[in-house]
Amino acid sequence: MKEITYGQIALTCLLLSLVTGFVVGYQYEVSAPFISTTAIEATLPFGWFWRSLHFWTSQGFVIFLCLHSFDTWQGMNIGQGKRLKIHWTIITITIPLGILALFSGYVLRFDGTGQAAGAIAEHLLLAVPWIGKALNRLFMAIGSEGLNRLYVVHILAGILCWALGTWYHTRTVRINFASFGLTTLFFIVFCMFIRAPIDLPLSHLHLIHGPWFFLGIQELLRHFSPLIAGILFPVIPVVTVAALPWIKRKESAYLILLMWTFAYAGVTLVGILRTG
Amino acid sequence: MKRRNLLKNAFFWLLGASLSWPLFAFVQKKRYRPPREQRISKNLKCGEFVVEPEFVLFETGNGPVAISRTCTHLGCRINYLEDKKIFLCPCHQSRFSQQGKYISGPAKKDLGTYKVAKMEDGQGFIVYLPA
Repeated sequence: MKEITYGQIALTCLLLSLVTGFVVGYQYEVSAPFISTTAIEATLPFGWFWRSLHFWTSQGFVIFLCLHSFDTWQGMNIGQGKRLKIHWTIITITIPLGILALFSGYVLRFDGTGQAAGAIAEHLLLAVPWIGKALNRLFMAIGSEGLNRLYVVHILAGILCWALGTWYHTRTVRINFASFGLTTLFFIVFCMFIRAPIDLPLSHLHLIHGPWFFLGIQELLRHFSPLIAGILFPVIPVVTVAALPWIKRKESAYLILLMWTFAYAGVTLVGILRTG
Repeated sequence: MKRRNLLKNAFFWLLGASLSWPLFAFVQKKRYRPPREQRISKNLKCGEFVVEPEFVLFETGNGPVAISRTCTHLGCRINYLEDKKIFLCPCHQSRFSQQGKYISGPAKKDLGTYKVAKMEDGQGFIVYLPA
């Protein structure tokens, strides 16, 4: 059997996520986001299955993309050759792009968690000095435009991940049958038993737990300003990973990444354990 | 780099740069939207209230008051806890009094209020919301 790599699994997840995204998009209404999401989940034939497949393959894409980055860095000497360095720096954009697609997906279902996540993200963007207003108009603007812009951004982020991951990164879609078949089969079986989450109205009077990857930031926002907790802190690992090939003393970069990971895991744990 | 390639690259960069301003202007422009009026067709006695997605309308001894449900910290939709007579933000646990005054948490500012008028026939209220 040919080797199954994290990269191939990530790409399979991305393709499945894109295809299922278009499927659920046929019944999703941006003007009635929560109602149409609950209709997909509860009343439309196989809606729960397509939604679950879209949700879990999207999670799978981001998780396997991170594993793929880690794996690639360990196995290759990217520190050599200017062309390879530039390639690494550009391709790391897919990580924040993937997280943006994932995050916007949470907001688009517009349940309690989605509404709160959208409001917080909008205020975080507005907290960016000088360009905050422009960034908000470009990516969110939920307060003035509803979910229209975020829906465009959601689709665009997924497509950009695909374009960068295939056209730019590998030039052609190199994915073997075993990787594609087994990953698809796993997610189909998994989604037949595990549904995608959705909050019921009034289910979070006292405490909303944000998306799993956002819990740490949510916790930090209780104690620090939006600029520090919501912008500067999350930007640290993205910039460090993108700059890795260009940094001469790599040990200090590894130390920053390690410390950041431990710190984020710690505050995430506090966020998980918080009860009110 | 060959001269031909250089010219080709310069052409595409120039083309991209010249289209960036029309794109930016189009995306940034905020379309005009008129302010909204929300009608509450219900009479409230002193001390009663109505919870709407954007505000909570109280009938007080001094007239109706509409308190915004948007948290002044990061914009989450806050909930009114009737038993404790406070507003609580479910995102970061900021607390506000029934009058919308800041009590605790990361918000630091009081909640906003909206203008309210009684309907001409006396059968409810009109709350004036921003665009």
